[in-house]
Amino acid sequence: MVSPAVELRTVRAGYRDRLVLDGVSLTVSAGEWLAVIGPNGAGKSTLVKAVLGLTRLGGEVLLDGRDRRTLSAREAARIIGYAPQQPALPGGLTVTDYVLLGRTPHLGLLARESSADENVVADVLRRLDLDQLAARRISTLSGGERQRAVLARALAQQAEVLVLDEPTTGLDLGHAQALLALVDRLRREDGTTVISTLHDLTLAGQYADRVLLLDGGEMVAAGPPAEVLTPERVARYYDADVDVVTVGGRQVVVPVRSDAS
Amino acid sequence: MNSSRSLRRVAAAFSVLALTITGCADREPEAKAGSGSGFPITVTTPTGDKLTLDRKPEKIVSLSPTATEVLYAVGAGKQVVAVDDQSNYPEDAPRTKLSGLTPSPEKISDYTPDLVVAADDVNNLSAALDKVGIKMLVLPAAKTLDDAYRQFELVGKVTGHADEGKDLAKRVEDEITKIVKDTPKPDKPLTYFHELDETLYTATSETFIGQVYGLFDLRNIADGKDPSAHGGYPQLSAEKIIEADPDLIFLADTICCGQSAETVRKRPGWDTLTAVKNNHVFEMDDNIASRWSPRVVDLVRTVADAVEKVEGAG
Amino acid sequence: MRTQPVTRLRARTLVGGIVVLLATMLVAVLIGAAELGWQRVLAEIWAQLTGGMSPLSEREAAILWQLRVPRVMLAGAVGAALASSGAAFQGVFRNPLADPFLLGAAAGAGMAATIVVVFAPALTAWAGSTLPVAAFAGAVGGVALSWLLSTSYGSVSPTTLLLAGVAVSAFLTAVQTFVQQLNADTIRQVYGWMLGGLAITGWTDFVRVIPYIAAAAVVLLVCARLLDVLALGDAEASSLGIRPGRLRLLLISAASLATAAAVSVSGLIGFVGIIVPHFIRLTVGASYRVIVPLSLLGGASFLIVADQIARTAMPGELPIGVVTAFAGAPFFIIVLRRNAEKLW
Repeated sequence: MVSPAVELRTVRAGYRDRLVLDGVSLTVSAGEWLAVIGPNGAGKSTLVKAVLGLTRLGGEVLLDGRDRRTLSAREAARIIGYAPQQPALPGGLTVTDYVLLGRTPHLGLLARESSADENVVADVLRRLDLDQLAARRISTLSGGERQRAVLARALAQQAEVLVLDEPTTGLDLGHAQALLALVDRLRREDGTTVISTLHDLTLAGQYADRVLLLDGGEMVAAGPPAEVLTPERVARYYDADVDVVTVGGRQVVVPVRSDAS
Repeated sequence: MNSSRSLRRVAAAFSVLALTITGCADREPEAKAGSGSGFPITVTTPTGDKLTLDRKPEKIVSLSPTATEVLYAVGAGKQVVAVDDQSNYPEDAPRTKLSGLTPSPEKISDYTPDLVVAADDVNNLSAALDKVGIKMLVLPAAKTLDDAYRQFELVGKVTGHADEGKDLAKRVEDEITKIVKDTPKPDKPLTYFHELDETLYTATSETFIGQVYGLFDLRNIADGKDPSAHGGYPQLSAEKIIEADPDLIFLADTICCGQSAETVRKRPGWDTLTAVKNNHVFEMDDNIASRWSPRVVDLVRTVADAVEKVEGAG
Repeated sequence: MRTQPVTRLRARTLVGGIVVLLATMLVAVLIGAAELGWQRVLAEIWAQLTGGMSPLSEREAAILWQLRVPRVMLAGAVGAALASSGAAFQGVFRNPLADPFLLGAAAGAGMAATIVVVFAPALTAWAGSTLPVAAFAGAVGGVALSWLLSTSYGSVSPTTLLLAGVAVSAFLTAVQTFVQQLNADTIRQVYGWMLGGLAITGWTDFVRVIPYIAAAAVVLLVCARLLDVLALGDAEASSLGIRPGRLRLLLISAASLATAAAVSVSGLIGFVGIIVPHFIRLTVGASYRVIVPLSLLGGASFLIVADQIARTAMPGELPIGVVTAFAGAPFFIIVLRRNAEKLW
């Protein structure tokens, strides 16, 4: 049996002064898209950081069946790619330079980028419709273009697992849709596993294979969107009034104004 | 012999004797009254101010190493109660931790002085002392030998040793004149470099020390087009010094910075200098070279010896 | 594609930088405080290369080969050290105003120099090693102190390092000022050293510092690309396989070593570490792959020119820190006026 791409076993994660995740276990199969949802403070970002090895850890995180702690930073980086919620974009770099940084895990200390690396970058830029902007400085790009550049950098890593932390932040509806559709297409083409945190429940429901609902550092529900995204659940954990309708076979979470007549 | 005549003689002798004795007796208190009546005095200080002293100062505090030397040289040593931390001559002067560079009015007034002597009115010290009724005399660095002589006289005057002050000035002046006269003059003026520290700061001819050298018609390599540039104390580059190849090199940084003829020889490129090759590098006492006290005579003598040595060497 | 989008150090630019450096070195050697005549100096150099007769007298040859040439070489080495360290610090702290003295190197060196001048004055003799060694130790000690202070608070992030550096610098400067006040007669000596200058240098100084500066340069050149990765922040850099804490330690150690070596012979020369990397960033590109090597070359050229001005502009020596400051002020004004995004 193929080991899952990512597996968490009773992971307790947090920061110096507080514990955020208290005993989370889950597996993500290869090629799967897992959306992590939950109210503010539920621990979504912490979960992402735990998978990336950026927090203190109790329990185990396994990548491709291997304990993360036994992997070197570079080996881990070849397995997991990360597009953060608030990326640091050095404005003076050109798009190509920036995306080229994604090749770092594949280069030795003294090695320069080879033409193979440059080809990967060119390919990624093309797929993300950024090839016209290749020589432009990042500071001159629009918000949507920047998000795509960040995604491009993560893709250039050619990792099996892609971790996206709120990838639609700051994007309008159209750009948000476009980006997620793109990720979906790419993962089907490459077989990439995607773990994303999304605060928009509808988008989570529309694109993910499985949804994981976190609350108070605990996993309270996991499964296909239809199972997890019920009005009762949303009401209970988000303290919000919603209605869930099905459009085109997918869940759409509709906020309801309770005092409306 | 006629007894009345011998009696008259004895009487005359007695009266002459009596007059002499009373005359002498009168003169002594007169002399005392004389020096006592030297005060109150008002003098004009080198800075142009007027200083009035009601009576002879008996508790003098000196914040200037040069002034300390002069005070003792005019015989006012017994009237000195405290000198600053840099006053190392004479050795028995009551050295304290008082600083002449960063003076503390409170610490100074602890000694309840009736006169404070300093080389500079740092941070308005005179105003601060004036508030507590202490008088201050500023004796700034002399620019010429004459300035120094005038200061000797002034110090003598304000301490009740006016005559000694005058004597000192005259003595020093005469000695210097004599030394200069006795030193053979070279046909061509000799050039010199006066080193203040190891980073090659120097003094041009437009300084006190420069004047001393000038007595011997020595030419300063740092003069350039404008000897008064940098206030008379420029920093030269090693290149310029080697290019100028001075006949004499004087080191005034033997104490502060450990320089000697040996260390100079070790400097890169300096071993090509004529003065180094011929051993015409002369060490001076930093303190004597930077003060304008009666010991300037020693300075003059050092220079004279140096000139003689170079002259003798041909 | 018409333009090469990957920012590489092109051979053309590298050669250009080397040519500029050699040109400034030549001019600096030809013209100096002593009037040797540039034609004669050229003839002398040629004579040395071809084994011909030297046109210079013994003294003139000493001026050239024992004073001027080592001073030019040292200016180049110090300039290269300060500029490349500045670039490294800017990358590590992700801050365009970072300079090599940020973590207490300057304060440490100044304090050590003061202590030596005050308590062991006879040892500061020319070609005596006490002052430079003390300054070196002080600079390294200052940085080490900052590092230790920041590690006591957990992970060493750039911010905690920066704050520790500020605290350590303030403290060491206070100690220095205190000692100086108690020994006010030494103020001129210490101040003179701190203003920075290459006036009292020779081949021994050059030979003494070049190993440190060369070693640091190698480290920084090798890690140049990683500085770009570091600019992404610790989280992203980690996800790309970098250990940010370790990389920072390596970079700061190398840069501080070079800075300490430079400071030990030249005192505190400011602005070089900020101006040169920025200039490269504005004119060539924002990637450290370009900034680090060109900062080495550009820093060397810059300081050689500044030192030449310091020793020839006026009859006496100008403190070299004054010259670099004069260059620094208008530079920052120009930078302000340009498109700020280009900077970063």
